[in-house]
Amino acid sequence: MKKALGVVFAAALLLALVGCQQPAPKEWTIPFLNSLTGQIASIGEYLEWGAERAAKEINDAGGIKGKPVKVVGVDTALDPQKGSVEMARLVKDTLVALGPVPEPVIMAAMPIAVENGMPSITASTSLEYAQKYFPWTVSWLPSTEERLAPLVAAWAKQFPEMKQVVQFVEPYGPWPGMADAHVKGFEGMGLKVLDKVEVPTNAVTFGPLVVKALNEKPDGVVFACNPTATAKLIKELKSRGWKKMDHLLIFSSGDAPDLYATGGKDINGVEIYNYINPNVDNPRWNAFKDAYAAAHNGNQPPSLSTNYYDAVYMIKEAIEKTGVTGSPSKLKAERKLIADYMQNVKGFHGIMFDWDMKDGIPTNKPNFIFKIQDAKKILVQEVKG
Amino acid sequence: MPLPLYYFLAITAVNVLMAWALYLPYRVGHLHFITVANMAISGYTAAWLVMSLHVPFGWALLAGFALGGIVGYVVSLFIGDAPTFAVVIVGFTFIYITRTVIENLKAVGGTMGMFGLPNIAGDPAAHRWIILAILYGLLILVGFLIHRFDHSQLGRAASAVFVDKDLAASLGVDIRRLGMRLQTLSCTIAGGCGVLYGFIYKSFHLDFFTFALVGIAMTIIFVGGYATMWGSLILAPILYGVPLLFPPAIQSWRIVIYGALLILVLVLKPEGFFTRRFVYSLESFLSGTRKKRNTL
Amino acid sequence: MQVFIAQVINGLSLGSIYVLLVTGFNLLLLVAMIIHFSYPQVVVFSMYIVWVVLRATGNNLVLGILAGVVSSVAINLISAPLFQRVMKKRGEVDINSTMVLSMGIGMIITDVLSHTFNQGLPIAFPDSLASDAPILRLGLISVLTGQVWSLAVGIAAVSAFFLLLYRTRPGRAFRAIAEDPNGARLVGIPLLRTGLYSYALSGVLGGVIAVLLAMLLGSASPGLGEQVAHKVLAVSIIAGLGNLAGGLVVGLFLGILEAIVQGYVSGTWSDAIAFVIMLVVILARPKGLFGSKL
Repeated sequence: MKKALGVVFAAALLLALVGCQQPAPKEWTIPFLNSLTGQIASIGEYLEWGAERAAKEINDAGGIKGKPVKVVGVDTALDPQKGSVEMARLVKDTLVALGPVPEPVIMAAMPIAVENGMPSITASTSLEYAQKYFPWTVSWLPSTEERLAPLVAAWAKQFPEMKQVVQFVEPYGPWPGMADAHVKGFEGMGLKVLDKVEVPTNAVTFGPLVVKALNEKPDGVVFACNPTATAKLIKELKSRGWKKMDHLLIFSSGDAPDLYATGGKDINGVEIYNYINPNVDNPRWNAFKDAYAAAHNGNQPPSLSTNYYDAVYMIKEAIEKTGVTGSPSKLKAERKLIADYMQNVKGFHGIMFDWDMKDGIPTNKPNFIFKIQDAKKILVQEVKG
Repeated sequence: MPLPLYYFLAITAVNVLMAWALYLPYRVGHLHFITVANMAISGYTAAWLVMSLHVPFGWALLAGFALGGIVGYVVSLFIGDAPTFAVVIVGFTFIYITRTVIENLKAVGGTMGMFGLPNIAGDPAAHRWIILAILYGLLILVGFLIHRFDHSQLGRAASAVFVDKDLAASLGVDIRRLGMRLQTLSCTIAGGCGVLYGFIYKSFHLDFFTFALVGIAMTIIFVGGYATMWGSLILAPILYGVPLLFPPAIQSWRIVIYGALLILVLVLKPEGFFTRRFVYSLESFLSGTRKKRNTL
Repeated sequence: MQVFIAQVINGLSLGSIYVLLVTGFNLLLLVAMIIHFSYPQVVVFSMYIVWVVLRATGNNLVLGILAGVVSSVAINLISAPLFQRVMKKRGEVDINSTMVLSMGIGMIITDVLSHTFNQGLPIAFPDSLASDAPILRLGLISVLTGQVWSLAVGIAAVSAFFLLLYRTRPGRAFRAIAEDPNGARLVGIPLLRTGLYSYALSGVLGGVIAVLLAMLLGSASPGLGEQVAHKVLAVSIIAGLGNLAGGLVVGLFLGILEAIVQGYVSGTWSDAIAFVIMLVVILARPKGLFGSKL
């Protein structure tokens, strides 16, 4: 009897040991919590495309530590209810994830990732959102005020005759904060910032807003609202006689396909700022552009399309440099390794430029001001912070 | 408890409660969309009390219920017996007003939202159990109240108002008072739901409380069955849970499937899946079985 | 003063959108007793069809307009039997069933547009249809072709449908089968044919509205219908369900009110203020300012 019990015990122990030492999976699966359906499905599509492009390149080059990487799109449909359940599913055995997108789903789902110590890269939101979830995510953008104040000042410096500026601001997420950062930049230049014109989220026509703005006699206009509204506001300004197109500045969140689809030739000459320069010439970026155009009716890749592309490469680098194995039995420890690595990565080779992270915040990302011409961005100047 | 199960159970409970909050006024024919605004008002207020004034969660939750009830009562003074259309407009108005006020209130985070709500009990696991306990306790309590209401004179009066307002009035039903009671109760439930909803996510964002929530609640009621409370209880977990099991290719068409389901049910079974007749026959069957068991 | 006039013109432009949509909404109410909450989404779908045909035919305006009208008529005729089935009592407005059914239709339309047309991105109409060049500009005052057409057609449509429905035999037949199908049958009105004509008529109006909105707005997005649906319903209720003339007045008033609030107060408060005013009106006059025609 005792012998039998002993055999059973030994067998159980053996099974437990085998269970603890589960082999690492055959591929690196990176779930991407994304809005693939719903109002921002068009944005979700190209974010996913960028991530999958990176996975394809990595796999073509032999994968990560010899194993292929697979980006799996998890649709949250811009729904916090869905986002939270999907994140709850992922935290059980996912090493690292991408997303969520956008802010309402981040707020519903990221606390779950934080509680379970799972890194998830939110590469399409501002620092003000991302830092709430440090160290389990990193910010793709530096501090709004630090970045934007000198940027808009550099824009205004082009036009010494500009004395007063008005902003169109939509009350969504970090955009009012970005508008406040613009104000600091203009005031630092000695410009007068007129009362902002608030743009309702569901505005259909923009005549009243434009008349209100023009009545203040601004010399320049800044747009901190959604891309479609921005395009329509610009068209409205033009139809009311606005001529100095380069005295119009669109913020980076307005740099999306909707802007160009709605604005067409009416936004030619308008300036826009962003930290992605589509005019760089390097093999990776050229290949990315060509592949995107081939898959999207000849269109140029939107600025956000490279964010999750770079994020996948950052994960690759983190895995390779920290010795992560992907073994389920080491999940907790390896998640921490990846999160810690990404918080302070040095000289990361992004698709367009190299940058560092310090405590989760990028320290040396460039900023650019462009002029729009026929849906393309022509570099006006690079702005150092 | 597995985390996905927690979120599934918690959010399902909120959806059922919101559907019931809509079901109650609908018993007299009112589409009372103000419940979404109540969720936001009470939720943000409770979160502010907890974060800024360090009020214990229990008191904040009670405050949320009370605030919902007060708002519901005050509004019902004006629309207790108003036509359905007026009640619909009131709902839309409050949703717009609430969103605009919260957008402009820095004290509750404005457009950024409120982050980092604390655990109720210091420990995440305990927090989750407490949230579930409160939600399901509330579910049982509200379910019991609605069940008693449906089988009471008030419930029969509500049915009469639904079918023919004038006839109900001529039979002595105080339509205004009945409408006020139902609207106040509906808003009270919604207020508490709003607080719990935010504490499930441990954050608040304006886009948690949109017209889409109205759509979800209406789908649950009309597909589940608007004539009884049981349809919402059965359908909410199905409507929320089944799409989570769809393969990605089908998930991307989830909204189209919801819309098609709504249309199909309305056309084929206008009263929804769980009709009053079905529930009564089930109740008779069960009471008949019980009688047999008792007499054996 | 110039600013005020400019804002009033802006308001009339916005108001004409509401007038067009409310007229179509009211027409469906009068001829079929349907509360088509998602009527704006149906119109937006027709806008997309116009866009597709314009692109396919090298901006052939006639074909584009025709396509818009045909698509709107088709959707109306397809959805007609669904609405007829869900209405509990013929001859009475069943807000709940028809509103919920139309919400289902709206959900499907919006999602299909997000999935399948232009990769979910907004669509822009060609300058030949939606020119931004003003026909009159005086300082801040600007009047565009699309604005003039929308307002003119809106007023003309209200007048024309009022005359049709209340002064002609076919119009009386439409209203008769909506209000009392059995009675209509007894007096010899062919139900099926007349019913089909009434739905087709509202479909034609929907197609025309789609073209006018394309002219006025110059672009469309999948969510455009949802953006205005609440206001269209509200305008119809405030004016009085089925009241064509009331819809015209209230629609224009709402447009001007929104423009004034956006211009002088705050853009983000315009919706809230507009709805509060409508709320006060509906509480004071539950049957609408100008009375319901049902």
